[in-house]
Amino acid sequence: MDSILTLLTDDLLFKILSLLTDDSDRKSFRSTCTAFYRVDSLHRTHLRVLRPEFLPSLLSKLPRISSLDLSVCPRIDDNAVYLLLSSAAPIWTRRIKRLTLSRCSGLRFRGLETLVGNCVNLESVDVSYCSGFGDLEAAALSRAAELRELSLDKCANVSDVGLAKIAVGCPKLERLSLRWCFDITDIGVELLSKKCARLKQLDISYLKVSSESLRWISGMERLEILQMVGCGLVDDLGLHYIGKGCPSLEVLDISRCDKLSSSALGSVIKGHNSLLQLHASYCYSELPMTFVDQSKDLKNLKVLRIDGARVSDAMLKIISKNCRFLAEIGLGKCSVTDTGIMHLISGCVNLKVLNLTCCSELTDSAMLAVAESCHNLLCLKLECCNLLSERSLDYLGSHCILLEEIDLTDCSGINDKGLKYLSKCSELVSLKLGLCTSISDKGLSYVASNCFNIRELDLYRCAGIGDDGLASLSRGCKKLRKLILSYCGGVTDRGMECLSSLEELSDLELRGLPNITGAGLRKLAAGCRRLAELDLKLCENIDDSGFWALAYYSRNLQQINFSGTAISDVGLCMVMGNLTRLQDAKLVDLSNVSVNGFELGLRASCARLKKVKLLAFLRRRLSPEIIETLKARGCKIRWE
Amino acid sequence: MDPEERPCADTWTKSSSGSESLQTRPTNTSFNDFNTQQTFSFNNPFGAQISVTSNLNNQKQMSDPQESNNTQDWDPRAMLNNLSFLEKKIHQLQDLVHVIVRRRGQNTGQADEILVQQQQLMTADLTSIIVQLISTAGSLLPSVKQTLCPESSISQQFGVTNQTAGVSDNVVFQHNNSVNKLEDPSDMTGFFGAEQNCPIEDHEMKSDDDADEGENLPPGSYEILQLEKEEILAPHTHFCMICGKGFKRDANLRMHMRGHGDEYKTPAALTKPHKESSSEPILIKRYSCPYIGCKRNKDHKKFQPLKTILCVKNHYKRTHCDKTYTCSRCNTKKFSVIADLKTHEKHCGRDKWLCSCGTTFSRKDKLFGHIALFQGHTPAIPVEESKGSAGPSNKVEQLEFKYKSDAPSGSSCRNVMDLEGSGEDPISYFSPLNFETSGIDGFQEFPRPPFEDSESSFSFLLSGSCDYPPKNGRYTGSNDME
Repeated sequence: MDSILTLLTDDLLFKILSLLTDDSDRKSFRSTCTAFYRVDSLHRTHLRVLRPEFLPSLLSKLPRISSLDLSVCPRIDDNAVYLLLSSAAPIWTRRIKRLTLSRCSGLRFRGLETLVGNCVNLESVDVSYCSGFGDLEAAALSRAAELRELSLDKCANVSDVGLAKIAVGCPKLERLSLRWCFDITDIGVELLSKKCARLKQLDISYLKVSSESLRWISGMERLEILQMVGCGLVDDLGLHYIGKGCPSLEVLDISRCDKLSSSALGSVIKGHNSLLQLHASYCYSELPMTFVDQSKDLKNLKVLRIDGARVSDAMLKIISKNCRFLAEIGLGKCSVTDTGIMHLISGCVNLKVLNLTCCSELTDSAMLAVAESCHNLLCLKLECCNLLSERSLDYLGSHCILLEEIDLTDCSGINDKGLKYLSKCSELVSLKLGLCTSISDKGLSYVASNCFNIRELDLYRCAGIGDDGLASLSRGCKKLRKLILSYCGGVTDRGMECLSSLEELSDLELRGLPNITGAGLRKLAAGCRRLAELDLKLCENIDDSGFWALAYYSRNLQQINFSGTAISDVGLCMVMGNLTRLQDAKLVDLSNVSVNGFELGLRASCARLKKVKLLAFLRRRLSPEIIETLKARGCKIRWE
Repeated sequence: MDPEERPCADTWTKSSSGSESLQTRPTNTSFNDFNTQQTFSFNNPFGAQISVTSNLNNQKQMSDPQESNNTQDWDPRAMLNNLSFLEKKIHQLQDLVHVIVRRRGQNTGQADEILVQQQQLMTADLTSIIVQLISTAGSLLPSVKQTLCPESSISQQFGVTNQTAGVSDNVVFQHNNSVNKLEDPSDMTGFFGAEQNCPIEDHEMKSDDDADEGENLPPGSYEILQLEKEEILAPHTHFCMICGKGFKRDANLRMHMRGHGDEYKTPAALTKPHKESSSEPILIKRYSCPYIGCKRNKDHKKFQPLKTILCVKNHYKRTHCDKTYTCSRCNTKKFSVIADLKTHEKHCGRDKWLCSCGTTFSRKDKLFGHIALFQGHTPAIPVEESKGSAGPSNKVEQLEFKYKSDAPSGSSCRNVMDLEGSGEDPISYFSPLNFETSGIDGFQEFPRPPFEDSESSFSFLLSGSCDYPPKNGRYTGSNDME
């Protein structure tokens, strides 16, 4: 060991480390020896913690941390921030440039203000999905004068006033996302356009803004990316403004803006020949001919999404002739035919992402054409293409060996033979086979024996899948992280035992599996220590013995769904009290749990819960204190 | 004709020649004659009867050529009816006079009482004839103007009639029963003189919102008046149109007006002091603010005159005086013109859009326009919202306190404030004095602009009542005088 270390200087180790992108690989590296550990801590720039109480000591040991992610911390509130900063002279605060506070809904403006006030060099802040955030919090954020990047997604209470605070306080802002900030209006956007001239990326999706906003946005000289999904009040006039303005525009997303006519798209193309990405999904019921004619101007276009618009074969031919560099095309629900695909493929040979969701007229010949032309294909979405048979997968498996993601949900023609062909795509990372009722354990074994990189597997309602399939899966796909086995009725406790060897499994959906009992869950919990999301809805035979094990082992659980299980008062209290990282719990239809049990369970976890789903009748039965406490801590209660 | 008519005609010629010797106007139109005759007649009751008669004849002569001129706006048939009615009436009078003459020839030593009675009777008749005559002539008037008949003659006619009523006061008072009737014609002048009087009234009304008048008056084309500070601040409501002096009571103003010339001494002028009908062109008056260095001061390089005394008053108070009226609702806003306070109080409390500089707005877009305009200003978050989100209710106060203590300029700002000794009002230390010190890093301490730029003062700009700069742009007119 020592001899190797003398050869490997810190510089070299740094280089090696920088090539390790996967967290688990880094973890292995880190735990090799103290020297590696030291190098890792010197190299580390990003830190994502589950428990904020360890932060001060961690941060003092990791001198290069510039990015801090607290989004998975269950209890970040104002007091946590004070504790965090109370240690003497927290020099690390000056190093922090990026702060992720997504879903930290317990945080309020004073904590945020203190945090932002201490991290003077803050350049990027993410407070998305902090549903309680309003103008006061925005005002606190606005003290970060160096801020370049800010995400306010779904901070629904932030209004124009908050935006104005940020616009005035953070003039260097380059990226801003205001998605779902419903209270922001034209007035706020106008001020933003006047104050933040450096803005490069702006997301105003789902805002109730009109074309007036686009008039102001069109004056932004440096704007490169404009996302305005679902801006239902924007009409053609707004797009005309964009067509005349925004000289640096490269990416435009006008998906779901249903008030637009063909001339809107026309004026945009006319003004922006160098557009790289155009997202116009679900804007038009039929692709306007003017766009097709003008597509010759879009020579550099790399991404085109026109899902939901009917496209004729001739149109696809013109598009493929004009936009030769297309790497991604979205044609979901476009009623594309085989001829259309052949036309498209004739020009665009560099396609990497192809979305053909719900193009149910497609047959194997289309897939043959795709497979023969697009060798670089990475992602193929074929959901609901019912006419495809195993031959399609044969073509893909023989030609598109780089394929990483394929969605075959609801392709009833896919069988075990098809999966055998597909298993030749050994780079597969994501495989979706939901509702493919013809596949069985045998097919799954082909995949498991060849595709070792699979991280996500969807077997929703694949009735032919049973414990044997899971056994082969657990042998082959060791990197599996997300697995959906809902309503695969053949899965029993034995299957759970197999799954327990999948150490990286973090997201498991086991809905409606009546053959799983407490014993199965116990084995699963003991093995899959990384489990963060677990859905046991309607697994009616799982009793407290399983939940006790869950409470004991699965300390990383963040989201649980116990609805319809046989959990009792004691089990619920155990789980809710012991799982210290639990943030989201769905507790509906628990026949064995009394009101008192709910009360105790919620009291045990109220400090960390961010979201809870309960039956409506409990609203009046639970004590008002617990409901108030939950709400005060930023927990969202959904009454079913 | 009756042979007895001749002496009467003789008398008329005599009297008429006498009047000519008195009044030596070269433009002796029939109207002038009529006028002088009448005057004469009242002074000499006996001649009056005859003079009026002859005058009426003249009148008829005058109106005849006009009849040929006017074709449209009057009914010739009605005119004929009127004239024949008048003729009949005159004949009746003639008969009466004949009787008197005859009686006089028989019995010279008649009692004065009977004479007086007869005279009263005649005066009444004559008055009614005059009224009739004038109204008949009046029906011609609009068409007269159309046919470019020299206006002066008509206006002069009525103007002089008016004067007659005034001058012949003594007569009027002697014959009480004729007073009302004699006043009728003078009232009629008001009616007929509409052509001339209306512009005067209009002018008076417009004096409040005279933005319509060309404001690009070349210097020298108007007379500059400058009131003293004391005069401006005196609680006057009545102002002399000539010199601008102000009075508390209109009566005092009228007394004052008499000093400006005899034309203001007439009873008409005394009752309606502003409506003097002098036809000479009035030199346009503009006003200068007495404050040296003010743009509204006549010595300023880019002098912009104020249009009315009201403007002077409001400008001076708003710009150069302390704001003594505090809003009782918010206890923050101060005004120097009480009407401004009243306007503010109407909106106070509704101005929920607050800027960090302390300025409030009733509308969000106004606030955002303000923020877009000024570097570093941000919207202040209303207190209600802090209550809405979970947490202590006094967030805003704490927040602002923190900003103040954090901002390095805070102390210097407060020093200035202490020097000024106006600690109680948070806005008062946003004075231009500490602009430099606090403008460096202050978050909350942004200097309040030296003028009110709240929407209360902007909002009236568009109405165009007075194109002043925003600082005194609000000019609502007469209610400011209260």
